[in-house]
Amino acid sequence: MSDESANPTDAPETEADGGKTLGGSASENTVTRLRTRWEGARDREVTVIGLTIVGVAVFPYLFARAPVVSDLLQGYQELASLMLVWGIFAIGFDILLGRTGLLSFGHAALWGTGAYAAGWASANITEFPLLVVLIGVSVTVVLSVVLGFLSLRRGGIYFAILTLAFAQMIYYMASAPLSFITGGDNGFTGVEIGSFLGVFDLGTELPSIAGTLIGTWRYAFIGAFLVFSVAAIHRVLNSPYGIVFRAIRENEQRAQFVGFNVWRYKLAAFVLSGTFAGLAGALFTIHGQYVPLSSLYWQTSGEVVIMTVLGGVGSLLGPLFGAGIYLWVEYIVSGGYPFEWIAPYWLLVLGLVFVSVVVLFPEGVWGLVGDLRRRVATRLEEQ
Amino acid sequence: MADDNGSRSRRDVLKAAGAAGSVGIAGLAGCTGGSGGGGSGDGGGGEDYPSLGNFPVEGDTATFGFTVPQTGSYQSEGQSELQAYELAVDHLNNGGGWVGNEFSNLSGDGVLGKQIDYVIGDTATDPDTARNAASRMINRDDVIMFTGGSSTSVAIALEGLAQQEKVLYQCCLTHGNGTTGEDCRRYGFREMFNAYMTAQALVPPATEAYGDDLRFFQLYADYSWGQSVQSSMKQFFEEAGWTEVGNVATPLGTSDFSSYLSQVQSANVDVLFLDEYGLDGANSLKQAVSQGLKDQIEIIVPLYNQLVANNAKQAIPGVLGTTAWDPGIDDPSADSFAQAFQDEYGSPPAGVAQLAYAQVLQYAAAAERAGTFYPPEIIRQFEGYEYDNIGLGQEVMRKCDHQAQRAIPVVQGRPVDEQSEGDLVELVNLVPSDQVGYECNSGPAAKCELGEYGDE
Amino acid sequence: MSLVSEAARILLNGLQTGAIYVLLAIGLSIILGTLKFVNFAHGALYLIGLYAGLLISQETTFSGGQLAEFGFGTIGLDWGFLAALLIVPALVFVLGIAMERFVARPFYDRPDTDQILLTFGLAIVAQQVVRVLFSGSSQNFAQPSWAAGPLQLPLIGGFPQWRLWVIGITAVLVLIVYALIEFTDFGLTVRAGTQDTEMVQLLGIDISRPYVVVFGIGAALAGVAGVVGGPLNVVNPTVGTDILVPAFITVVIGGLGSIRGAVLGGLILGITESFLIQWSLVIPSLGIDYGFAPWSQVGIYAIAAVILLVRPQGLLGSEVDVS
Repeated sequence: MSDESANPTDAPETEADGGKTLGGSASENTVTRLRTRWEGARDREVTVIGLTIVGVAVFPYLFARAPVVSDLLQGYQELASLMLVWGIFAIGFDILLGRTGLLSFGHAALWGTGAYAAGWASANITEFPLLVVLIGVSVTVVLSVVLGFLSLRRGGIYFAILTLAFAQMIYYMASAPLSFITGGDNGFTGVEIGSFLGVFDLGTELPSIAGTLIGTWRYAFIGAFLVFSVAAIHRVLNSPYGIVFRAIRENEQRAQFVGFNVWRYKLAAFVLSGTFAGLAGALFTIHGQYVPLSSLYWQTSGEVVIMTVLGGVGSLLGPLFGAGIYLWVEYIVSGGYPFEWIAPYWLLVLGLVFVSVVVLFPEGVWGLVGDLRRRVATRLEEQ
Repeated sequence: MADDNGSRSRRDVLKAAGAAGSVGIAGLAGCTGGSGGGGSGDGGGGEDYPSLGNFPVEGDTATFGFTVPQTGSYQSEGQSELQAYELAVDHLNNGGGWVGNEFSNLSGDGVLGKQIDYVIGDTATDPDTARNAASRMINRDDVIMFTGGSSTSVAIALEGLAQQEKVLYQCCLTHGNGTTGEDCRRYGFREMFNAYMTAQALVPPATEAYGDDLRFFQLYADYSWGQSVQSSMKQFFEEAGWTEVGNVATPLGTSDFSSYLSQVQSANVDVLFLDEYGLDGANSLKQAVSQGLKDQIEIIVPLYNQLVANNAKQAIPGVLGTTAWDPGIDDPSADSFAQAFQDEYGSPPAGVAQLAYAQVLQYAAAAERAGTFYPPEIIRQFEGYEYDNIGLGQEVMRKCDHQAQRAIPVVQGRPVDEQSEGDLVELVNLVPSDQVGYECNSGPAAKCELGEYGDE
Repeated sequence: MSLVSEAARILLNGLQTGAIYVLLAIGLSIILGTLKFVNFAHGALYLIGLYAGLLISQETTFSGGQLAEFGFGTIGLDWGFLAALLIVPALVFVLGIAMERFVARPFYDRPDTDQILLTFGLAIVAQQVVRVLFSGSSQNFAQPSWAAGPLQLPLIGGFPQWRLWVIGITAVLVLIVYALIEFTDFGLTVRAGTQDTEMVQLLGIDISRPYVVVFGIGAALAGVAGVVGGPLNVVNPTVGTDILVPAFITVVIGGLGSIRGAVLGGLILGITESFLIQWSLVIPSLGIDYGFAPWSQVGIYAIAAVILLVRPQGLLGSEVDVS
């Protein structure tokens, strides 16, 4: 991998921050001190999880019901749920792309398998949502071990091509030879999702204020998994394991020399990322109660790549925003909003934005927000 | 063109409720799809019914959703459907066409006292995209009914969504057996016939024209529609004394049929069935002709559509098949629809246009009969309803599987020198409904379980 | 039909399917081998070649898209197929050179993943531009009149003529490119660059110009594939990205940077596909009659998987490492 240039901008920035903090304490600048405390707290697990919970809780209200904002966004409850589902997919994908630098073009296979396994389980084994998700995830984990094992035989560009090829193979298998299980081109239509813990129908609204904010039980169910995913990924990435991932991304050879079994760590990252893809796929089934054949098609892999890059590669929460933006354009702009004429151009717009992000802002939307925040902070300090 | 800014009244109510805090929110519990509203609207005289799906309809307009393919291979079908839908909405609001005539209980001043508005979504002939579009209509635009689509996979996906969200779906162009077979839903109705009925309709003209004791081969598109055509053709033509020598599945989107057609050449048969649709149908037919097959054997295309006929003009002369509807049908209501369409758009309607137009009016008429937009009541009005007002003779919308039992137009391609734009096939026979069809406990219907009305 | 004639038919159909893969794979392979540039937009070049060919060779009526909305629904030069076959490669060659200069060159030093992301994005943009202009509908690309219809062959019987032409045209082009790379000074520089770019530069040879040409040739071959494949394959905006995957598989099977490998890979894929389509497992005593046509697409990926497990560098690949 020719990865020497990986993020040269990132490291100096953090160092510069540290340097400023020292200088700041001498000048007794209150803003700086507040900022230092904030920077420290931000990375702490509790803060990350807390922020995620708050975000997840108020998002549907803002997006679908709040005055002005929801009018501007033209959002609705079910789309909010779907954004979370894809958000989990994207942050899981970023474990691989953002942390180890491996670009998979075959995650559709994992997402689709999670979705089909969950759908099949719901029709044949159990209707309990939690069990359905569990089965979907388990099947996907097995598949990611196999796919990862095969695709990681060659590094670099081969990885992207091989994941793409194997995923297409699975797509074609589902489309015709295995259509007696998958429903082929019709998709899997027999999904039966029961009520959560046998009590709450996922389609109904939560009681009182929670209903206003969050909306349906289904959203709450998916939201809980999102919070869990963010917490789990945060924990892993800050563990020694996660630090090895980063070492591989920065310089694979050096990591190898130090004595790490690089191949094994890459496989671990692939499987971990596959696990979240499977989780998201299973939740996609819970959400839509239907599995389209296109969930296995390579375009789905392409979508998650775009979401992740758009949101910000290597940032924990960036891909969530990428997923939100992508789906908003796909669902709302494609329906002719804000301008009637824009409808047929929605994917062209996304494509152009994606290309400019790759060329001009490799850190994505999340990076832009970070830049803006730092710039404002610098301004404040200067005053 | 109307846009998605149609009736937003319901959402505004919700929003007001949201802005006011928890007031009135408790009343929202128990309804699906993020809608609700405590039944404050009159819903067209249906105050007695609880809220369900997007019922009750708030404000003075009711919104329909049209899910049609606007991109992808079937966009010409989609365009015909959309033209017919817009014509139907215009007639519902302002009179004209079949409104007030064939459909005597429609006033021409809206439905149940409400004006009809509509929103459009693109299915791209992909079930996932179709569901996205329909889901947006249901959740955001609060459509009370949606309709459209040009393939069985889309219809099945949308039927499932309709059942889930308790919003009625009128299937439009779907010909696979599953739509009113194993994938049938209480909230979906199909006016179009299916592959099973096509096979029944094709047996008499085919055996008459080509003989009684023939060997045939089938190429079929390898997805559920193709499979259901293949099995239906095999069943009914073997009953009629023919023998299926072989069949081969072709993947969806195959462009190169030569390997498959090679097998036909080597099989020594009298008749070839091309159970392919859309561009695949056109390509397979063209290639069969260019390989010289048509000189040796007869070819049957079980289901014609615009795309097949338009893309294989040179290849279709004399080729038998069925189609949704044909302007050549001798019936006053066929004429009045064709005339209204011609006046509006300056071209004769395609078969699918009649289907689309009829299904919107049928929904409106059922709502008028029910006296409410409450979906379970409308469903009950549909079920078992007998009618003869769409130009295809006596029909019944069957209660057991929501499949219309109706006549089927059998057509064949016109000779090249008799073809004109939009008129490529000629009617051979309108096979009446008592010669096609099947009992509720046989054929596709045997596998159908419709599911709940939603008011149990 | 005898076993021999069936085999001959499978072979010819396989050669034709493989020919399109070969045309795409050679371009991918030599660009990857010499320039170390991963081009996910190679399918877009095929797409552009296809639509350019359509517009040059005939007059087409597009039922939708922005051109139709602006009143240009029926367009095309109607200069005939031969004109398209000559003009399109030149056109796409120039496009390839522009692409090398403005897209690839700034990204040579960026990681592989960035190259893939960029070219993937460009592929989407190209596809969407075509879709917006000409609509997503599939179009009819007529076979050249001088090669339409079946040809009576010994053993086989009627076989579509155009397929034979595709095989022939591909064979000629492959030989030309092969000769260019193997027997000319230009080819020597390119091959040396494939082996060790730094060393060639140290020897004082300017390799940037041959590289530009390599990119152009690769692009032109993709364009030709679009034109000759047009009358046989579906013509719509998604074909470019759809054909990219088998083209990549061809490269991976054959071995990176090797023209002979690309040819071998294309033949293996093509024949596998046509064999599976025509093969049925028939055991009358057990009542088994199972056609393998639905497995034809799965088969080519399965072959790729097996070859990679046994021989990761590809069948004819030397261990040139792009990692």
